[in-house]
Amino acid sequence: MTEALTITNLVKRFGGLTATNDLSFTVADGESVGLIGPNGAGKTTVFSQIMGEHRQTSGSIKLYGEEITPLPTARRIRHGVSRTYQVPRPFAELSVAENIRVGLMHDNVWQMVLHGPDPDRELELALSVGFTEDDLKRTPAELSMGDLRKLEMARTMATGPKVMLLDEVFAGLTVGEIAQIGELIQQMRGDGMTFLIVSHDLKALEPLVERAIAINYGELIAEGSFARVIENEAVRASYLGDTV
Amino acid sequence: MIQILIQGLLLSGLYALLAMGFTLIFSIGRVLNLAYGSYLLIGGYVYFQFSQVMGLPKLAGVALAALMGVVMGIAKFRLIVKPLKGEHVPVEISLLILAVVLQAAVVLVFGDSSKILLPIIPGVKWLAGTAIPYSNLFAAVASWLILIGLYVFVRTTHTGRAMQAVSMDPKGAAISGIDSDRINMITWAISGALGAVAGVFFASYTQLYPGMWVGPLIIAVAVVIVGGIGSIIGTLIVAHIVGFMEVIVSAWIAPELRGVFTMLLIIVVLVARPRGLFGREEL
Amino acid sequence: MGLRWYHFALWGAFIVGLALLPELVSKGTLRTIIFANYLAIFAISWDVLSGRTGYISFGHPFLIGIGAYTTAILTKRFDVPVEISIPVAVVVTMIGGLIVLLPALRVRGSYFAMITLAFMELMYQLVQVIRPDLTGGTRGMSGLPTLTRGAVNGFYLSAFLMVSVALSMWLLMRTRLGTALSAIGMNEESVRGSGLSATKLKMVAFLLSAAIAGLGGAFYVHYLGTIAPRALFEINFAFTIIVAALIGGASTIVGPVIGAFFLTLLLEYLRPVLPGAERYLIYGGVALLLYMYQPRGIYEIIQQGLARVRRSS
Repeated sequence: MTEALTITNLVKRFGGLTATNDLSFTVADGESVGLIGPNGAGKTTVFSQIMGEHRQTSGSIKLYGEEITPLPTARRIRHGVSRTYQVPRPFAELSVAENIRVGLMHDNVWQMVLHGPDPDRELELALSVGFTEDDLKRTPAELSMGDLRKLEMARTMATGPKVMLLDEVFAGLTVGEIAQIGELIQQMRGDGMTFLIVSHDLKALEPLVERAIAINYGELIAEGSFARVIENEAVRASYLGDTV
Repeated sequence: MIQILIQGLLLSGLYALLAMGFTLIFSIGRVLNLAYGSYLLIGGYVYFQFSQVMGLPKLAGVALAALMGVVMGIAKFRLIVKPLKGEHVPVEISLLILAVVLQAAVVLVFGDSSKILLPIIPGVKWLAGTAIPYSNLFAAVASWLILIGLYVFVRTTHTGRAMQAVSMDPKGAAISGIDSDRINMITWAISGALGAVAGVFFASYTQLYPGMWVGPLIIAVAVVIVGGIGSIIGTLIVAHIVGFMEVIVSAWIAPELRGVFTMLLIIVVLVARPRGLFGREEL
Repeated sequence: MGLRWYHFALWGAFIVGLALLPELVSKGTLRTIIFANYLAIFAISWDVLSGRTGYISFGHPFLIGIGAYTTAILTKRFDVPVEISIPVAVVVTMIGGLIVLLPALRVRGSYFAMITLAFMELMYQLVQVIRPDLTGGTRGMSGLPTLTRGAVNGFYLSAFLMVSVALSMWLLMRTRLGTALSAIGMNEESVRGSGLSATKLKMVAFLLSAAIAGLGGAFYVHYLGTIAPRALFEINFAFTIIVAALIGGASTIVGPVIGAFFLTLLLEYLRPVLPGAERYLIYGGVALLLYMYQPRGIYEIIQQGLARVRRSS
């Protein structure tokens, strides 16, 4: 089994705060893994280290066996890992089609100038996340939270990732939208995409993952099948501490 | 040596005063007030008109200049910042246009030629072979008193604390029930008064002419960049760094080069430490 | 690029209109329009950098000045022919563009704007004190070689330059590169998150902008025949460039051209009505009100007007 993502002894300190504490885990190629933990457990910080938006204090991150830690974000994305954000960050004055277009661009200025956009591929991506053809011309200001998340999925998919990191994909969505995004993820799993998914909505998350990893205070506290992990006492305690 | 010390202190006090109003708006309103120089310009001319042309007492002239600054500050907030909803680029550009409009207004009323302001207090004191005009001494002392007053105001009064709160976290301040509109307006008013008074002093240091707003604006920019956002003490210290640097460069290297070093300081500090020497993380 | 018939028609009409202009207006007006052409070039240069990427430059004369001084010094002091000095000026200005790029890698927003202001002021002071035997010091230089004789030829040269720059940038910004550059202005993190190097894109924008500024500055100085630091590195000059770009419509290339012509002609046609200093007051006041009414500029006002006409018909 090929390891898609290999995190080894990852440590991140912000001043006196340790956000990631000697964290190690792997995600196999084609696998879908849930990353769970209470608020402030350090899930998003793990994502931003994988993407190179924050530099880790120490430790290593490998993508398909290749060390990506020295690479800047854009190069990591070209190596096949891409993420969505808790708060969607669209290009506010570009249309849905143009937002996806930016994701589809290769990091090559000559190509950007000499080759026009690929409207078919833009439409295909938009349709795959549940937009209609009419939505292509709309701007983010006209979109609902659910639509913005869909747009972010589409733009992330446009970068051509082999591994996708999804950060709170279900937050702020209606039941129908959750089902729609869930379906999309299932379909992409069928096509062999590798996922690492952060979500507070454990019910929505459960059918989408084969395995779960629970962290708290940046440390791994449980790992295994989804059911076993959420039954784990340390995990329950961490969530209980969260709700108090 | 003593000469440099004295001149440096005098100039730095003035710089601290003129930079302070600019810092306040940048820290609290988050706006780069490119029309800040026009407070100095209008302040200088108001003083000139009332005290020198109409012969009112000099202190009344300074007070009227400060009042004019307050009015202008509130007007800028009400007529430009509010209607544009505080969006940075439109507000800053509108303020830049306003600065040029005000310069044109001054040319229209007072003409293009420069005016010499009579010293606020005539006479010169000789100290260690340096001529210190009483006027400059008065400006420096007054600057210091105003700044101490401002510091006490911000630290101890309710309004001052609210200003600090808005500066640190506008949303948090709003949640705590602070009316940020009112705080902003007060800040614009104070900033205007500080700028206008600084204008009277600055004009008596140099000259009064329609283009005089650019120089002080750039000094204020320098002090804010190097000092960093949201720090009165930082502004004070950096005003002294800039002031002393100018005096030292003028005395030991070449007077024409003093601006060069100030600009180099801005560029080096911003590239090396974008939040300034004393500022909070804010980018 | 999605070119439509009316794009060709409008550009065609614009070029034909410019070509016929010397027949229609007086020599005096023509000289004003020459200035409008150069202002349009500078405003386009500003637009490519600031209008697109959101890195607002308050010190654009810094770049223009590098181009202008380079060719002025080369031709005046070293007798280099303009055929060589102008290309050299463009290249040197592009190097200057890289200098402005450096802070843009670390800071943005108001901080970047303030640094560019510092760059301009630094340049102003430096040209006066460093090697005044080359730069002409405070007084600058005069008697520089001119490229054309008379207003008509000067006009055609400036119009040719302006149209070339405007058309090529307009086409370039309609490609995916233009989309990517405007994406930088909207959300730089998301540009990185889309797998694009924001640094590389910014470098492209800065180099393009600098090349245009250098070209415009060099030709402008050879049109004037003189150069002086106070006229060049001046906040009022920076102001005119920025306002022309914004009042026309930032990030559109066509907008800055409209803005440059609007501002220049406004000032010109106010002259008979208001001969005195109040002209500048009205001029600035109109600019302020127009800008506050629609920060997206005249371009947007026209588009909204057209949309309304289309809807009602």
